[in-house]
Amino acid sequence: MRHGFMCAIAAAVLVAAPIAAAAQGSALPRTADGRPNLQGIWQVLNTAAWDIQDHQARLGVPAGQGVVEGNELPYRPEALVKKRQNFDNRATADPESKGYLPGLPRIMYMPFPFQIFQTRDHVAVAFEYDRGVRTIYTNGTPHPEGSINWWMGDSRGRWEGNTLVVDVVHFTDQTWFDRAGNFHSDGLHLVERFTLAGPDHINYEVTVEDPAVFIGPWKMSMPLYRRKERNVRLLEYDPGLLMDEEQAERERKKTK
Amino acid sequence: MNNRYVGLAIALAVMVASPRAAGQQPGAADTVGGCPAEPLAFHTCALAKAKTFRPPRTSSGKPNLQGYWRNRLAQAFSVEGVSGSEPLVNDLVMPWTLAPAMIVDPPDRKIPYQPWAASIGRIGENYAKYLDPRTACGSGGVPRLALQDPNQILQPSTDDYVLWLFEDHHVQRVIAMNRRPPLGDAIKMTNGDSRGRWEGNTLVIDVTNLNGYTWFDDSGNFYTNAAHLVERLTLIDPDTIHYEVTVEDPKTYTRPWKLVWALVRQKEPGFELMEEACREGERDVSRIREGGYRYYFGESWRGR
Repeated sequence: MRHGFMCAIAAAVLVAAPIAAAAQGSALPRTADGRPNLQGIWQVLNTAAWDIQDHQARLGVPAGQGVVEGNELPYRPEALVKKRQNFDNRATADPESKGYLPGLPRIMYMPFPFQIFQTRDHVAVAFEYDRGVRTIYTNGTPHPEGSINWWMGDSRGRWEGNTLVVDVVHFTDQTWFDRAGNFHSDGLHLVERFTLAGPDHINYEVTVEDPAVFIGPWKMSMPLYRRKERNVRLLEYDPGLLMDEEQAERERKKTK
Repeated sequence: MNNRYVGLAIALAVMVASPRAAGQQPGAADTVGGCPAEPLAFHTCALAKAKTFRPPRTSSGKPNLQGYWRNRLAQAFSVEGVSGSEPLVNDLVMPWTLAPAMIVDPPDRKIPYQPWAASIGRIGENYAKYLDPRTACGSGGVPRLALQDPNQILQPSTDDYVLWLFEDHHVQRVIAMNRRPPLGDAIKMTNGDSRGRWEGNTLVIDVTNLNGYTWFDDSGNFYTNAAHLVERLTLIDPDTIHYEVTVEDPKTYTRPWKLVWALVRQKEPGFELMEEACREGERDVSRIREGGYRYYFGESWRGR
């Protein structure tokens, strides 16, 4: 009981801290060029990778409160039918279950750490999951022209005060928002906002636009937590390699 | 059999053998960074130049290696080079290009394999029986990532990390400059664990915890999960890096050996890395595997 009480206090501090620190912006860690210093190893503590909306527990899936503002996604009627089909077939239809890159924004809330690096012209994010990487150009350059379909899209960022605002386009239609079948087209357009809310928290907010699938924009938000373990570093989780390895092992046993 | 993967779609052959990947342009200039365009001659000349060259510095005073780079003096056919007596030079589907060895030590410029390993690497058992891990969309690994396609080095001003990004398979290497302790031996990774330091003007990177799942080249030349690599990156002029890798693996070789090539700055205005993800898999892999080629998961896979 006493132990539980201490945990409750710790949780309250965890929740209150970002708000308090945000109020005293001058105390934020900054890089040499005066930008908020987002560098470090971060990770979400939520269940959005399974389902970005409110959901009860399913086998292997913890229950969770959604990260979507207002919880509902404004699907077009035909898109909602597809979402329900995706949900029914999710075990094999989810592109992430095949070892593909989860794309954006999903890779940001996979239950794996990622590391942010900053130079004058770039904010680069390296992911433990699939050894993925995204480069956010902050040098004022526009998105490249043309019909481009990239798993991770093309990210161009700018600083608005203490917030890094990132515009992302040029996606494929091959990635989902979560294991629950929430999906988008290759016309997906994201605007992400990274706001350092204290030394160990980033408020991460994403506005999603995709007229082919949704009747209007919608928003999700969540905190990113700094990993504080001593000696923490990105390791490697390569789902494609692990799947091939399992298949090779099965074949080896069969031929024995 | 003249060529492995016989009967493959030409598209795959083009992908693997493209001049961009091989990094050798016929008729290219015969100097690199003011040094001869042959790996051993380049190595000797570049080390001499590095003694007097004063590299540009970052705002924090470290040698500035940042920018986009592409290999020169390297090819992916064989780190031991390709001689005229190699039958693959006359291959009809995917002829190999004549090239000198990238090995600068030992003097015979061959990998000093232990007897058991020589018949596995060097267009041996690996080549004959296994799917090139890179063709199967695995990471090229270290050091092969740096000889396939362009790459980019970023140095955050905090000096605690160097980030090395690769267009090939769109992967990253995080190089810790913060003198963190080594990783526990039970954790093995395809690109290993990289810890860097500055020795004078040279970025020295220790790579350990490798799983040994990758090859050096198309010939199946390999190291095991006991390998320890030391990479050295030194600017010899504003646009040329002397790149050297010392390879140590007591399970596989009789002595450490050394590879060298050049990384040359990409100067096209507006150049950026593109996404060559490969996670969705190479569609011809199932056909190659029908031909009997097995997935390669390191020397330990063979049950040694």
